Amino acid sequence: MINKVFSDEIIFPFLDILKQFPDRNAFCIKEEFYTYRQFAEHISKIRFTLKQRKITGNIVGLVANDDIETYASIFSLWLEGMCYVPLNIDQQLERSMDIVVQVEANLILDSSAETCYPGDLVVQTKDLPFIEDCVGFDGTFSDEELSYILFTSGSTGKPKGVAITRRNISAFIKSFFDIGYVLTEEDRVLQCFDLSFDLSVVSYLVPLLKGACVYIVPNKQVKYSYIYGLMDDHKLTVALLVPSTLQCLRPYFGEIEIPSMRYSLFCGEALPLDITSDWAKCVPSATIDNFYGPTEDTIFCSHYRYNRNGHNKHFNGVISIGKPMTGGDMKIFDENFNESYVGELGELCLSGNQLTPGYLNNDKKNQDVFFIKDNVRWYKTGDKCFVDSGGDFLISGRLDNQVKIQGYRVELGEIEYHAKEFLKDRNVVAIAFNNQANLTEMALIIESGNFDPNNLIIYLRSKLPSYVVPTKFLFVPIFPLNNNGKTDRNQLKRLIK
Amino acid sequence: MIMQKKEIIQTLTLIFRGTFGQPTLDLRDDLTANDVENWDSLTHMLLITNIENQFGFKFKLKDLNKMKQVGDMITLIESKLDIHPL
Repeated sequence: MINKVFSDEIIFPFLDILKQFPDRNAFCIKEEFYTYRQFAEHISKIRFTLKQRKITGNIVGLVANDDIETYASIFSLWLEGMCYVPLNIDQQLERSMDIVVQVEANLILDSSAETCYPGDLVVQTKDLPFIEDCVGFDGTFSDEELSYILFTSGSTGKPKGVAITRRNISAFIKSFFDIGYVLTEEDRVLQCFDLSFDLSVVSYLVPLLKGACVYIVPNKQVKYSYIYGLMDDHKLTVALLVPSTLQCLRPYFGEIEIPSMRYSLFCGEALPLDITSDWAKCVPSATIDNFYGPTEDTIFCSHYRYNRNGHNKHFNGVISIGKPMTGGDMKIFDENFNESYVGELGELCLSGNQLTPGYLNNDKKNQDVFFIKDNVRWYKTGDKCFVDSGGDFLISGRLDNQVKIQGYRVELGEIEYHAKEFLKDRNVVAIAFNNQANLTEMALIIESGNFDPNNLIIYLRSKLPSYVVPTKFLFVPIFPLNNNGKTDRNQLKRLIK
Repeated sequence: MIMQKKEIIQTLTLIFRGTFGQPTLDLRDDLTANDVENWDSLTHMLLITNIENQFGFKFKLKDLNKMKQVGDMITLIESKLDIHPL
């Protein structure tokens, strides 16, 4: 009874789709289309091979390539009651092997022509023979088993493995569709994320549960222009993006018009209101939604709908993250775990069925970030937040983005907000640094060629207390992005000497 | 003044050398990101910006997907500068 959520929400609906739409396209990868029938064949091939091979343990490494075999591998593993750990192809082999060892994986699925992993661990999934149909399912495994494990970079440098159960992912899918999205086999959906980033999961899984077609942005592409190419050439109807992609596309908004877009979704970073309003004109028919959530709470857990024709809630120019999605709860607690009042800042904490059972083999971190209050298990996000009288949540910044200058608390987001107001289209990042006298000062890094910042300084002085006004200005023509396509603040920090 | 193709290539070579920090890099039509160290998505964006600044035009978003190799880039720059063959 309890252990059939994963089969009910994901496995059976997916198998039904395979039967219902064999001739419709499931994937478009590098301009090549694959039907659901072909996808099912790939799943059968890989699953047959998995069955032949006696595998100990449930956790399998998956080389995060951008081909049909890699996506088929995910479903082969799920049908076999196993979970995948994506191994990013851009990362050092050493880091990948560190992950393989940490999760004690005895198997790696690799669709590369030549694998760089130890031969005794690897099953190469390219060019496997088709022996027999192998997409049946008897639905007997536990919902507490894992579906995937993602590694997020820890501030200590050692990556942490976030374990996501079948129950977690099923709860996510249910709460996603509870928002009211209607997707059908006619939809064309963008998947622009590396598999090691959990926004990939919603981007491939949601369309495959409805018989829609998934459009993949291949690895090693200039993402933002390829994304636009797919949206325009293939008239995509659904796209989840990180806001940094909008920042890259912004200089070209004048040439972008995607009337086919029905749902334009954002997650992963603060979504600025001004750029969203400009983007809304590029996707004139789309519902624009902002999501929030850490990997630990399975992809995302709160939702705010952008209002095209009226007021939008925002703080420091960043759109509200809205209200909790169904099946989960969000609260703001102070340091003593007391719930904050309306408008009062505190730490955003999350609970519910999407919440990970914890980090793998990391008791210290698990003790630090999870706590029980009134029999409910909560996760501390590290995000500073408040809730307004309408019950919408607004993020004010990271707790660790708050720095002290001359004893005053300073919120980096506030400096960035005012600088952006003045500089209009330019992206900025504020960073605190210690000067030679070991005093904390502010630096502002601006995505632009060099210019004299004098007028900006005058403006900031009119808006901010003097101790907050940056003393150092750096110009970077284009901000670096990390593997997830977000602005890489750590790399920018290293520019400050 | 109309720029000759040869001049375009000379200018582009200097931009490439500067962008990728490779003072001896020479351009070929079939040169791609796979052949040049440091040519990743970030330096690609820098390259585009540098080309735009140097030649004094803006690429269209649609143009960016057409530039798979250096030859494509040269053709596109030529068309932007509106060169008429002699």
